[in-house]
Amino acid sequence: MRILVSIDDTDTMKMDGVEVRGTGELADLIKQTIEEQGWGSCEPITRHQLLIHPDIPYTSHNSSMCFEADIEESFLKTVIDYASDFLSRESTPDSDPGLCVAVTDRISRPGWLISFGYMAKNYVLTKQEAYDLAEMLGIHLSEHGGTGQGVIGALAGAGLRLSGNDGRFKGKLKIKAENDIISAGDICSQGKVDMVKCLEEGIILQDDEMIVLGDNIKPIWMYGKAVLPVCAVSEEIAGRARWQTYSKSQMKDF
Amino acid sequence: MWKISDKGEREFTGGKEDWQVVAQIAENCPQYKPDDEDEMVADEAYSCYNCRYRRWTIKSFTCLKD
Repeated sequence: MRILVSIDDTDTMKMDGVEVRGTGELADLIKQTIEEQGWGSCEPITRHQLLIHPDIPYTSHNSSMCFEADIEESFLKTVIDYASDFLSRESTPDSDPGLCVAVTDRISRPGWLISFGYMAKNYVLTKQEAYDLAEMLGIHLSEHGGTGQGVIGALAGAGLRLSGNDGRFKGKLKIKAENDIISAGDICSQGKVDMVKCLEEGIILQDDEMIVLGDNIKPIWMYGKAVLPVCAVSEEIAGRARWQTYSKSQMKDF
Repeated sequence: MWKISDKGEREFTGGKEDWQVVAQIAENCPQYKPDDEDEMVADEAYSCYNCRYRRWTIKSFTCLKD
């Protein structure tokens, strides 16, 4: 069965002077355990930015992390129990962690979950609203310390991942290319990017179009695919390639 | 450059697109610490926008260090 695992609000800066793990790293560890234990196979993690607002307490960024996994049905409870214990154990005392695990085929009204995700990017929502919706849709939602406010972001993260059109992938891609110039087809053939697209011009690049790779090669989650956004090269570096990957500052709105 | 927010925190008055200024501030800040790579938004090597101790606000960010 296909599941969405989403977590939020787990990290703070330091605990007893020791640097602690961020939400993304905790999501990565849960994902690794699912695979190492043979419970299932996982897709890459996406990061979803939620609303920044004075009324919303958040640890460092108010973003949630989500990944999809294919697991055997018999391991569903195992995964939920493990992730719950893990978050209770690893999250810092002054964080408010939340966990959402949704079986995609069993979500009775997927559109409602997606709507909740987009609402959380634009409005202040409450824990009760999150719990009510999760119960209505048959989704696991649990809190693991603090105020438990992270359940809002956890549920929203699942909805945004399900939407197929929000957020960016965790981590940077390492793509092999001579002189940092490579064709769109070769990028996609390396298996971590489904499509290369110029968002400003709305152009999906053909396989033979050449791209200059920057130091921040990061796909976004669009059309339910890993889409590598590119823009037209500046004249100074124009040569064989017409396109270049986004910089960090260009990527910040995703 | 800074103001005290309603919560008593030190908030940058230059907003979220003042790339050069926050780069200069970070270069000279002894407490600068890079955030997780996934949370970096500035291209400069040093930038308050990439710092572990910044907290985004609606219009800008607050610095958790004095």
